[in-house]
Amino acid sequence: MTTTNQSQNFTRRDVSKMIGTALTIPFTVGLSTREAIAAGTTTAALGAYLKIDALNNVTIAIGATEMGQGILTGLAQVVAEELKLNWSQVVAVQADASSLSSNPFANPLFRAQLTGGSTSMRGWYLPLRKAAAVARDMLLAAATQLYGGTWSLTTGGRVINTTTNATHNFSELAATAATLTPPDANSVTLTSSFQLIGRRVPRLDVPAKTNGSAMFGLDVRVPGMAYAAVLHCPTNGGTVASAPTSAVGATNVINLGNAVAFVANDTWSAMRAASANASQIRWTLPANLTSRDTAALSAAAKSLVASPNATTHVYENIGANQAQAVSGASFKIDSTYNLPFLAHACMEVLNCTVSVTSNSCEAWVPTQGQQFLIPTIAAVTGLAASAISVHTTFLGGGLGRKIETDFVIQAVKVSKAIGKPVKLTWSRTQDFQNDKYRPNAAIRVQLGCDNTGTMKGLVYRNVSPSINIQRNTAPGNNPEDTGAVAGATALPYDIQNRLIEYVPLPTDIPLGYWRSVGESYNTFAIESAVDEVARASGVNPLQLRRSALANDARALAVIDAVDQLSGYSTASLPAGTGKGLAFLKGFGSYIALVLHVTGTAAAIRVTRAFYALDCGQVINPDAVEAQLQGGLVHGLSAALWGQVTFVNGMAQVRNFDNYRLLRMAEMPVVKSTIIQSSASPGGVGETPVPVVAPALANAIANLTGTRLRNLPLYPGANMGEGGED
Amino acid sequence: MGNLQAENASATRINKAPTKAQTSSIGLNINGVTRTFSPSSPDMPLLWVLRDLLGLTGTKYGCGIEVCGACMILVDGQAQKACDMSVSEAVGRKIITIEGIASDPQGKLVQAAWIANQVPQCGFCQSGMIIAATAALKAGKHGAAIAGSINNLCVCGTYQRVLAAVSTL
Ligand code: FES
Ligand code: FES
Repeated sequence: MTTTNQSQNFTRRDVSKMIGTALTIPFTVGLSTREAIAAGTTTAALGAYLKIDALNNVTIAIGATEMGQGILTGLAQVVAEELKLNWSQVVAVQADASSLSSNPFANPLFRAQLTGGSTSMRGWYLPLRKAAAVARDMLLAAATQLYGGTWSLTTGGRVINTTTNATHNFSELAATAATLTPPDANSVTLTSSFQLIGRRVPRLDVPAKTNGSAMFGLDVRVPGMAYAAVLHCPTNGGTVASAPTSAVGATNVINLGNAVAFVANDTWSAMRAASANASQIRWTLPANLTSRDTAALSAAAKSLVASPNATTHVYENIGANQAQAVSGASFKIDSTYNLPFLAHACMEVLNCTVSVTSNSCEAWVPTQGQQFLIPTIAAVTGLAASAISVHTTFLGGGLGRKIETDFVIQAVKVSKAIGKPVKLTWSRTQDFQNDKYRPNAAIRVQLGCDNTGTMKGLVYRNVSPSINIQRNTAPGNNPEDTGAVAGATALPYDIQNRLIEYVPLPTDIPLGYWRSVGESYNTFAIESAVDEVARASGVNPLQLRRSALANDARALAVIDAVDQLSGYSTASLPAGTGKGLAFLKGFGSYIALVLHVTGTAAAIRVTRAFYALDCGQVINPDAVEAQLQGGLVHGLSAALWGQVTFVNGMAQVRNFDNYRLLRMAEMPVVKSTIIQSSASPGGVGETPVPVVAPALANAIANLTGTRLRNLPLYPGANMGEGGED
Repeated sequence: MGNLQAENASATRINKAPTKAQTSSIGLNINGVTRTFSPSSPDMPLLWVLRDLLGLTGTKYGCGIEVCGACMILVDGQAQKACDMSVSEAVGRKIITIEGIASDPQGKLVQAAWIANQVPQCGFCQSGMIIAATAALKAGKHGAAIAGSINNLCVCGTYQRVLAAVSTL
């Protein structure tokens, strides 16, 4: 098996050559290459997605970004399946950013080259299979043209003559195939017996990630490059009033407007120069510091969530007289849940390497947002899009942060100013203090049920800052921010009367997309409230959900699977152990989680986790399980300790020593059931996260009788020193 | 990715370019060979010497304050956070980074266990994890005792697989 690292030989020129051959419809792109021969007659590119070399290795260019979720492997499996490739001949590479309007690497789901919303498999599964099937038919046609007779596909990147059993490698056919007219992607036959899809195929990126050769953004080295560190204003939103033009320990000091860059011959010297000279920078503070103060913001949110006079946006109004349906119910709850701002804290800090010359720009970016980079760089440099190339590196985590362009703009400006390549790195503290944070929220839920546990009415109000309003992507005063209520609207529960309201909370704290976005707070409120009303009515929380999901077979199957796996309804737990359940239909999937906890409300330990997941057709069960295990960790860290506070605009977080994350000694045992399904693939990357916090709060309520409605559960917890010296 | 391999190959050449700020040349035994370079100061952390001066980028920067473990290397067979060791402290010691781990008998076992258990997700913390496990194995620990000595941070949450991998060692 060739690792993806080796495959980074696949140069920009190769990729753009392939892109240059794109058709207007991404799915068929693979297939129309007329200038396919990249190197003599030995290497042929079949459209944008495939390249076949003389050794019959097949390189697959992937439009989605690999940030740990295993998508490079998963999408390569999908292509290799239709071509009956041996896994050992598969090479996968991440595509460069493309500025073509018919960008072959734009996710077909939303026609943009970005990775987010757990959409990669959902968007690419069928289009890539069709593209591969078109390529297969072209290779077969090439065999007929070259050798006569009829041919069919066999394993190992070969075709076989249907009468003589002679075989030829794809490598012998590719150049000819690339000259043929591709068949219509919608009329090709897709295979129905899977050899790779659904199998625990080893990840293509694992070897490189165990020997130091995996190339993350932070690892890019360009000849002659300088190193830059940045300082932003300690008060969030401050801008540079004046900066020194030179500084001890720095070869250059560059005023970036929103920050100052210190350039040196290595990253450490650049960071050291930045801290040594910080006091020489004069900042202009933003006008309204209250709007960047989290205590003031939570007070405002708490008041709006209860106020009858708040201006609300109604996102769902189902049935009638929802408030009456709640108040008239036999059992009802009226609870308010409060959630904090969160940081992304990707293991790899923000960084970007750029080489700007007078007529070109080449950038290496750990990016989830290729779509935005070429236009952004063009605006900063004044260069034409065609003069700009952007390479995607591996990401040491993305989590939604690396879809942004701020760190790229800074690197481009520095390279342009100093006239040579630069690697710009944010220190961990800069990364924490200048994030685009998951919005805080205050959410009031009024929910009523009868004595059989049938939910009668739901009145829901979410007060939180709107990402869309802040980014001016909301027309007028309408937040148009369905993301803000995602996880509260379109609930699968059969509740006849529902009112879902949203009140945007004004803030200037920079907001961003944090793994699972709206569901990360709304699912906490909904699933906590459902548990609360179940406890109030004395109905088993699992049975209450079951009866509200009676019309949704996939949801029921997931609830039953988690029940069977965890023994939620049947097993008696040892004394001192509590259990909590949460459920989510989201990201095209269904998921349920049961957590077991021990200890006291003041010191909880999560001991076991049981996930059941229906994500439709599973491509690689091993990768799906990894997302469940990892999503649990991410969700637990956030629920237990995660929060970013600002005092008058000053971020109080600085590094992992005061932003506690789960360590291995605290890891619960995770078991999972993945439902066998042939439904369209659903999302997996974000799906496991939103259910963690409510399952935890529900388990604590089960164990202690105390209902915890504010996250994080343990604010102020710091982490001691990690690792062994 | 454009020309990265060529760029890596040229790393040494770039870094030999002298600058005023640099102190005199130092030699360190890294992965079995002597590497010579000019650090920007004698207190320059080994982490940045490895990454920026020598192009050994498998050792990662995560926190810079000895909290995350992403920067771990072996120094005389023991796990050491490279953000917490100055270049002058490293003189005369035997240093192994992730790039050299396969040449270490225990390191090779750990690496194989990592692959067999498909541990990495994003992979960014994994160099440090593998070093930590190797050091524990070299100290005569096995299974749960290795697990007990690993406190590295993994934002992706690969802990269950790290535990599975070390349980085979
Ligand atoms: S970078 Fe050294 S411990 Fe985090
Ligand atoms: S594998 Fe991503 S941080 Fe550990």
